[in-house]
Amino acid sequence: MDWKSTWARARRGVREEFRLYLVAVSSLSVAFVCVGGALLAVTNLDAMAERWGRSGKVSVYLHDGAERDDVSQIQTVLEALPEVLEVELLSSAEARTRFLEQSEVGGDLTALPAEIFPASLEVQLAPGTPRARVQEIGERVAGLGAVDDVETYAGFFTRLEGLLSAGRGLAGALALLVGLCVLAVIGNTIRLAVARRKDEIEVMKLCGATDTFVRRPFVVEGTLQGALSAGLALVVLFAGFLVLRGHLDASVGALAGINATFLHPAIVAALFFGGGLIGALGSAFSLKRYLAV
Amino acid sequence: MERPVLVFEEVYKYFRRDQPTLRGINLTIERGEFCFVTGPSGAGKSTLLQLVYRKHTVDAGRILFCGRDIARLRDDSIPFLRRNLGIVFQDFKIVKHWSVFENVAVALEILDMPQRLIRARVSEALERVGLAGRGRDRTENLSGGEQQRVAVARAIVTEPALILADEPTGNLDPHLAIDILTLFEEINETGTTVLFATHDHSLMAKRDHRIIGLDDGRVLEARRGLSSWGGDGASDIDVAEPRGLHAVPGSAG
Repeated sequence: MDWKSTWARARRGVREEFRLYLVAVSSLSVAFVCVGGALLAVTNLDAMAERWGRSGKVSVYLHDGAERDDVSQIQTVLEALPEVLEVELLSSAEARTRFLEQSEVGGDLTALPAEIFPASLEVQLAPGTPRARVQEIGERVAGLGAVDDVETYAGFFTRLEGLLSAGRGLAGALALLVGLCVLAVIGNTIRLAVARRKDEIEVMKLCGATDTFVRRPFVVEGTLQGALSAGLALVVLFAGFLVLRGHLDASVGALAGINATFLHPAIVAALFFGGGLIGALGSAFSLKRYLAV
Repeated sequence: MERPVLVFEEVYKYFRRDQPTLRGINLTIERGEFCFVTGPSGAGKSTLLQLVYRKHTVDAGRILFCGRDIARLRDDSIPFLRRNLGIVFQDFKIVKHWSVFENVAVALEILDMPQRLIRARVSEALERVGLAGRGRDRTENLSGGEQQRVAVARAIVTEPALILADEPTGNLDPHLAIDILTLFEEINETGTTVLFATHDHSLMAKRDHRIIGLDDGRVLEARRGLSSWGGDGASDIDVAEPRGLHAVPGSAG
C-alpha cells in the first residue's frame, strides 16, 4: 500500500477543494465547540461535586436542655469513628454569631435572639466517605436522647447528583447529535468533492484502480476535516476558557469553592481523534455510490 | 501455437428484454492483430468493447481474455483485468485539471510502482505519442489531438496485452484522425493487439486491417481491408450472405 501516493493525492484533493473544505471545517468546528462546551460544564460540575463530597459534613442539632455529659459522650463517640476528622461543639450564641458573619441577607438581623439557633455538633468527615456511610452515622446519632435533629445534606447531594446526571445526559445527547452532524456534513462535503471529481474516479477505475485505492485519499481528506474541526474547536474553547477563567474563579469559583478546570487530556484526545474517526467513516460511506464504474 | 488474446463465444447482451444489443457474437482476435470494429450507430460496437473491460457483463456466452473467462470474474478481480487493458475513448476521458504527466502516471500509480520508475515510463510513453517534454503542461490547454495522445499514452504506459479504442477519432478532424490511427498502428507494430472501433469508413479505406462489421447486434463480416468489401461501408454488409475473407466461425476459442 503506497501511503506516499495516497497522501499526495489527498493533498491535491484538499488544494483543489480548499474553499469547500474551509466551509465544512468552520461549520464542524461550531458543532464541536457546542459538544466541547457541554463537556467543559460537566467537568467543572463534577469537580464541584467532588470538592463538596470530599468536604463531607454532618450537623447534629441538640435539644435545648441537653445535658453537658450527654453531649460530651456523643462527641467522644463521634470522634472515635474512623471517618470523622473533627467534631466541633457550637453553642446557640456561637451559631448565631457565625450565621450573622456568613449571612448576606439584607436587613438588620442582629435583633435575632440566640435561642432560635440550636446548639450543634459540627462533624467534619474524611474525604471520600461514602454517602451511605454518612447517612448511617446520621441515623445512629439521631436516635440518641440529647439529639434533636441531624442534617447530613443528603437532599442537597441528591439534587447535585441529579443536576450532574442531567448535565452528563445533555452532554451525551449533544455529543451524539454532533457526531451525526459531523457524519452528515463530512459525508456531504466529500460527496460534493466526489461529484466534482467523478472524472478522476472514472479514469482511475478504468485504469484498474481498486475501490480501496480510490477511496483512500478521500478517507484521508475526511479524517483531516474531522480532526481539524475538533482541533480548531478545542483551541477556541481553550482560548475562551483562558479569557473567562479569571472571572469564573472570582465569582462562581469563590462561591462553590473550586477553581475552573479545562477538559481532561483524555477527553481532549478523544474529541480530536473521535473527530478524525467520524470524518473517516463519513467519507468512506459517502463514496460507495461513485465507485461503480 | 499462441493462444488468441480475445475470444467471443455465442455472446449475447440485452439492455431490453425484447431487443438484444449483441446476439450470438463469435469472434477470435489473435495476438498482435489490428482490427477495426465498425457498424452503424447502435450496432453494438461500444457494447462489444465494454463487455471486454467489464463495464457490463454478458447475458449469455463467454468472453475469453488470454484464456480467462471475463464474465466469470468476481467484482474485486475487475481492476486486475483492466490493468491488462489499455482503453481509449472518443471523449478522451482525461482529467482536464491534471498535468499531462499526472494523467499518464495515474495508470502506473495504481500498480504501486516506484516514482522513479513512473517518471521514466511516463517520459517514454509521452515520447512515443509525440508529446515529449510536455509532461508539465495542463491537459486543458492542449488541443483535441494532443489530449487524445495523452489518453493513448496512458493506455500504453502499462504495456497492456490489448488496447480497446472506442471511436478514438470521433471528436477529431480527418487530418488528426489519421495521425491518431497511425499512432495506434505504431503501437500495434510493437506487438500490442488493437481493437479499434470506428464508423469512419474513410479511415478504414486507407488501411488494410481486418474489419469486424456489426449490425443489429450481429457480426456480419470480418475481412481484411475495406477495399475488398465490395460496397460503400458497413451498411452494405449482407447478413444472409457473408462474403468475408476472414469471417470468424462460432467455434472460436
